[in-house]
Amino acid sequence: MKKRSFGFMLLTLLLSFSVVLSACGNSGGGGNASSGGNESSSNSGNGSNAASGNAGDASDSGGEKVTLSFWTLFDGGDGDNMQALVDEFNKTHPNIQVKNTKLVYAEYYTKLITAVGNGNGPDIGISHASRLPDLIDQGVATDLNAAAEAAGVDWSTFNQNLLSADTVDGVHYAVPIDTHPFIMYYNKALLKQAGLLGDDGKPVMEQSEDGFMNFLKTLKEKLPSKITPFALSNANDDPYRFWWALYSQQGGNDVISDDLKSADIDKDKGIKAADFIQKLYTQGYIKKNDPDFYKNFQSGTAAIMMTGVWATGTWESTKGLEFGAMPIPKIFDQEATWGDSHTIILPTTSKEDPAKRKAAMVFANWVADNGQIWAKAGHIPSKPSVFEKPEFKAMPYRSDYVSVADTVKFSKQSTKTQQIRDNVSYKYLNEVWANKMTPADAMDKMQTDIQKVLND
Amino acid sequence: MKMKKLRADVLALLFLLPFLIVYCLFTIWPMVKGVQMTFYKWTLIKKMGYIGWDNYRNVIHDKEVWQALWHSAIFVVLSTPTMIVLGILLALIANRKSVLQKFYRSIFFIPSILSVAVASYLGLFVFQPYTGLVNSALHLVHILPENTEIFWLTETGLAWITVTLVTLWWTVGFNFILYLSAMQEIPDEVYEASKLDGANDNQIFWRITIPYLAPITKMITMLQIIASFKVFMQIYIITGGGPLDKTRPIIQLIYQTGFKKNNLGYAATMSYVLFIVLLVLSALQYWINNRKRGDL
Repeated sequence: MKKRSFGFMLLTLLLSFSVVLSACGNSGGGGNASSGGNESSSNSGNGSNAASGNAGDASDSGGEKVTLSFWTLFDGGDGDNMQALVDEFNKTHPNIQVKNTKLVYAEYYTKLITAVGNGNGPDIGISHASRLPDLIDQGVATDLNAAAEAAGVDWSTFNQNLLSADTVDGVHYAVPIDTHPFIMYYNKALLKQAGLLGDDGKPVMEQSEDGFMNFLKTLKEKLPSKITPFALSNANDDPYRFWWALYSQQGGNDVISDDLKSADIDKDKGIKAADFIQKLYTQGYIKKNDPDFYKNFQSGTAAIMMTGVWATGTWESTKGLEFGAMPIPKIFDQEATWGDSHTIILPTTSKEDPAKRKAAMVFANWVADNGQIWAKAGHIPSKPSVFEKPEFKAMPYRSDYVSVADTVKFSKQSTKTQQIRDNVSYKYLNEVWANKMTPADAMDKMQTDIQKVLND
Repeated sequence: MKMKKLRADVLALLFLLPFLIVYCLFTIWPMVKGVQMTFYKWTLIKKMGYIGWDNYRNVIHDKEVWQALWHSAIFVVLSTPTMIVLGILLALIANRKSVLQKFYRSIFFIPSILSVAVASYLGLFVFQPYTGLVNSALHLVHILPENTEIFWLTETGLAWITVTLVTLWWTVGFNFILYLSAMQEIPDEVYEASKLDGANDNQIFWRITIPYLAPITKMITMLQIIASFKVFMQIYIITGGGPLDKTRPIIQLIYQTGFKKNNLGYAATMSYVLFIVLLVLSALQYWINNRKRGDL
């Protein structure tokens, strides 16, 4: 009996290993592409990045060698590009060594906050601009003014729209390294087939409510029925971002009041935006419950799609995909889109070391200066001077949407931004997209629940 | 004599000590700390201030908490009976003398070895629209007309079925093993005697096998209820608690409150509410079992 059960166990183990392995293989590529903020996958290599190694910085930090710990939340192409930046920086700055620790995105903020809380945080961290107010409130992100001055950071070299998202009452809390707005991608071959591609390689579309609808209508009529006119997920991030863009295009100003204390949805504008998007689902322009809209566009079976700029790198490395990138069409009164920004912060440490903080700011500024490496994944660099670099100009697509950096409508600096988005807005808007709730009801319920979150 | 016993006790304690220290440090102490947290406003990194019974008062009036508890209860009701019936059925199949006996045992148990993430993602791929196995199969045999899809993951009722099926597939192996070993414990003489008395298969099953399995069934029921009440990961991955939080179990709410809303004190309070619910259920079950035994 004993022997038999041992053999049975062994057999079980062997078989199960094979199951586990094959299961991993299957699930690896899947994932829900709409989740999170920066899961841009596989960007081909780091190639030659010919960074203009600001030699001046090297001597800045004196003779002492400074080692800095750096926690990041990037994976895939982003992760590789950040590592390339760190390697290049370490090579050109012998006195400052940065050690990059990659954490899993989903756990990053929880780990950062708890580690800083018990005094084991890193010297340098990453934060999304939308998470910054919360980190400031919890005492995780620190005032950078003194360190920036010591390191000779010139704040005027940054895009001011981005910078304003990281500044509270004249105090800088973060160094923006990019913005990653919500933009539109289109499949050139399919648009051409439908007769909607101009000679300049750009879509032929009138930038208005009817114009966009007619554009989709033509796509639906002219293209085979297997082709999705507009690839978009049916829940959470991306449709929410589209709603935010259209809400802002009408002049909607976030969903909370300026004093950040009360829920303040501009109901009519919110309804109009939600109603417009709901129609795209109910009239069949967006595939219902599309399990993977990234794949849909990537495999050339969708004419247009909208998501963050981080997808650019992924599309570039997809063989045979002829695509273009452009800002979200101006469907309502003014140009606006959703966007967030990656920033570098200096978390609170148990012992404040001015030399380390200065070195960290040298690093942050250098990363921003060398945005052409970071832009490989698709992000828009935070310093306009990078746009003029030959390495940046040599990369296609990016220049088609750098102007968006000025029209990104960031969320207000509330500590509750993330919670409101994840626990309220997604929830009710998802119901609208599924046609189970009217836009008006959703706005009312959002207003009530946002107030509840703010009162907590 | 007394001296000898004392010595044995001390010796036993000495051997138990390594475990006890770790157990106290990582299980008992956090539990005590958890009780303390319920009386404070406590964020992810710091204690904010004593607030007395406020957290408990809030829990009682918090509709979300009761909804989430209800959802966990729904899952218990869906999963426990199916888990037991399927466990017995699989054990019956694997217990029959057949060349495939070993094969059955392996394949029935294998899914239990997968991690929850792998099992859930497999479930996700099987049930997703357009490309999922289930819908594709239904299209193939023309039960489901072309151009229509069943949205297993986004309709509340279907989402519950999906989650239950995936959990069933994933964890029934454990119950199956327990039942199989219990079946092998049943003495062959009893079966032989019943056959000599002319009992048919049906009678053998209901009059002999099932009664012999009663003790293990009681134990499995208890374990299953506790396990099902603690459901989290597979629902989190498969439906995310949606649509409209209608499949969100209590553990997910606790997780969101603690780590997303940064309110550990309140999350700890909810955990203790769940603890009390489980304690009451266990006590009730214990009481029922003992009473029955007294009747005999």
